[in-house]
Amino acid sequence: MATSWVSPPTRTELIEDLVSGVDRYNPSNVSILEDYLYHQIRSQEYDCLANLAILKLRSPRHRSPDFNLCISLLDERSINANLDEPDPLPSLLPTLKHLADLLYRCRFPAFWEVYQSDELEGLRDNYTVECVGFEDAVREVVIRAVKATFTRISADRLASYLDLSGSELAAFVEKKQWKMDANVVSIPPNPDNQIEATVVQENIKLAQLTKVIAHGACN
Amino acid sequence: MAQPRVALWAAEADDMDDDLQDMSLGNYGQNGHYDDTFFQQPQIDEATLMAMQQHMAQQAAFAQIPDVVKGFIVHFHQAVLENNLPEITIAYESGWNKYTEKFYSRTEWPEAEIIAPLVNDELYYRHVYSRLQPNIDDRFHSYENSCELFNYLLNSEGPVQLELPEQWLWDIIDEFIYQFQVFCTWRSKVKSKTDDELLMLAEGGPVWSSYSVLNVLYSLIQKSKINEYIVAHQAGKTPEEIAEIVGEYGVRPLYRHLGYFSIVGLLRVHVLLGDFTLALKVMENVELNQKSPYTRVTACTVATYYYVGFCYIMLRRYPDAIRTFVSILNWIMRMRQYHTRSYQYDQISKTADRMYALFAICNALSPSRLDDNIANISKERYGEQFAKMARGQEDAVPAFKELFLYACPKFISANPPPYDDAAALSALLAPASPDPSSPEYETSLADPAQRHLNLLLSDVVAYTPVPTLRSFLKLYTSLGAKKLANFLDADEEEMVQQLMVMKQASRSVTHVSGGKGLLDGQTASTSDLNFVIDENMVHIAESTVGRRYAGWFIKNTERTQKLYDDLKHQPLPPAPKNAVASTPAAAVVADAKVAKTAPKVAWGGVKAA
Repeated sequence: MATSWVSPPTRTELIEDLVSGVDRYNPSNVSILEDYLYHQIRSQEYDCLANLAILKLRSPRHRSPDFNLCISLLDERSINANLDEPDPLPSLLPTLKHLADLLYRCRFPAFWEVYQSDELEGLRDNYTVECVGFEDAVREVVIRAVKATFTRISADRLASYLDLSGSELAAFVEKKQWKMDANVVSIPPNPDNQIEATVVQENIKLAQLTKVIAHGACN
Repeated sequence: MAQPRVALWAAEADDMDDDLQDMSLGNYGQNGHYDDTFFQQPQIDEATLMAMQQHMAQQAAFAQIPDVVKGFIVHFHQAVLENNLPEITIAYESGWNKYTEKFYSRTEWPEAEIIAPLVNDELYYRHVYSRLQPNIDDRFHSYENSCELFNYLLNSEGPVQLELPEQWLWDIIDEFIYQFQVFCTWRSKVKSKTDDELLMLAEGGPVWSSYSVLNVLYSLIQKSKINEYIVAHQAGKTPEEIAEIVGEYGVRPLYRHLGYFSIVGLLRVHVLLGDFTLALKVMENVELNQKSPYTRVTACTVATYYYVGFCYIMLRRYPDAIRTFVSILNWIMRMRQYHTRSYQYDQISKTADRMYALFAICNALSPSRLDDNIANISKERYGEQFAKMARGQEDAVPAFKELFLYACPKFISANPPPYDDAAALSALLAPASPDPSSPEYETSLADPAQRHLNLLLSDVVAYTPVPTLRSFLKLYTSLGAKKLANFLDADEEEMVQQLMVMKQASRSVTHVSGGKGLLDGQTASTSDLNFVIDENMVHIAESTVGRRYAGWFIKNTERTQKLYDDLKHQPLPPAPKNAVASTPAAAVVADAKVAKTAPKVAWGGVKAA
């Protein structure tokens, strides 16, 4: 997972060169990277390092004080970081930051409430609509948290986390190949929702004993 | 999950002991202090000294320079000319500092031009920065001087035939970045500038611009092909093959060292600019273990680990940060007996102190028992703050703030205030932001450290309820969510969401052995307390660590063996008159031989402790 994050398979050679060398600081390359970002948004790809390079190039021109806040969004790898367009940034950023924070703190119902509110209509209509699969990407964040924490979860609770109900929820659950039974959704076992009490025993490596053994061999 | 890594790490650390201690012996000019009496010896080139003096005789300034300093400079210069590495090293590490202390602790060294034929400008400006308040001319000139030096190295025809001690090469890069950082900090304070300074800054152009500084570092890395060198070295290529790969620059130690130090320099610059991902990315090929030949340059090693550890914190990879700090802090402790003699001792212990503070932060956010010794020292120094941070109540945030601001690097803004734009500048100077909705805008422009602090605090705030939850969960093996919410006096749904946060907080991307690059890693569990929610029932399982005996037994076995050997090699008591037995004597001789070849017992830190 981390490997594909450092160097996504979808990254082209041209971009790789730009991202790795001193060329990334050459302002004339920013348009190439921005085209790439646009492509990512369209085809649901994500290349964090390339996007950071854009921010770096952009920041001198707009003197964005929020460069690091953008990083904070990118670091959380929530998909809405892809929204970074510098111009409306100062007004949008606090909202985005707030949304990212809600996601980070697993306040999913609150997230949807804010996101679907009338005040953010502009955000939805102008930006997130451009970002293909934005809402599904948020749902993936939810799924990650739910999968790790629950073995079974009530359908109502899941619905409020995903902002889905009725047939949509049923379809979503089916797509995940989870089982819904009497209003309770069972989540298949995974490394994070299996718990076991263990006693960790110490594990002695041969290297630790070399001196003792060497001494024994000398006598 | 986390435990096996612990053992692995500890084992590695012990391997390192011998290598490190041996290597360090060659460092710090162990051949003694730079000695004045040296000049009185006849083989010192009196003629050169005289000639130099006559040549400069008209200059009154030169005459004021104490003779012993002149002698030092000539001697130093000659050593450089002759590429006499041991002499340069001693002169550089001991002599320079000695005379700085003695004659120039409050004033500047003689102008670089006066002693131009004698001394490297670089040292002159370094002195100005470290001891005195540089004026703007000094700042601009030191930039030009650095550029000249790097131009000379990079753009001469073919590689420059010069040998300098590693330590000095590191200091050149280190100082270059330090002066860049100081300049940026100074530049970002608009209010305190005089008109002259404002004018010069407006026309300053590329002086100390981020782009030019980065360009130098990237160029040195490219020219020296250091990355190719490291990769080839790791692949176990023969020296001939490596020479083939790295080319005419890379084979010269001067360029290779500068290349390596530039990688570390880039790491540092990227951290200062707040790009933590990229900072770790440039270190991609560098293996962060203490067997690297560059551990000889102590300051470089300490800086590398400090910045890498800090990056991990900002990327929220606390276990990796802890691992990084533990390893370097242990090393510093073991090395203490050597580097107290170093002129960088102060700097190293200051950095170590800051790392103990960062360690406390990490340990509060992601409790671990990787190294109790380091944890205890950290608690001794920052116990009060640690208690607050670990408890996670309201006073946690100020404690995090305090330690972070104390221990973080001196961040800089990549972008200068708009000195070339008078209107924008006066707008910036105007008190109070006209847009009340963005107070953050103003403060964050002024202080990048504040921005990074906010980044950490956003994490801290999410984690603050975790310790309380944890203390309740520890008491049960299963517990209804409603009951737990009642204990906490919280809304049930709210608490379930908090449990999800806690679950995620107990998972972290962690570097695994064999992983390539510092950014690489896998998700691992970092907590001994695991739980899962089955609809409305919380099930809890706790992992415990069995007592550890092995280290204690091994340590004491080795001690006993050493004691036994020592006893055996004590001279025998005077033999009774007629008991001349040849066999025991022969045995003793044989034993003595063995003792010479047998490795000395040095279990982790025993000697240094």
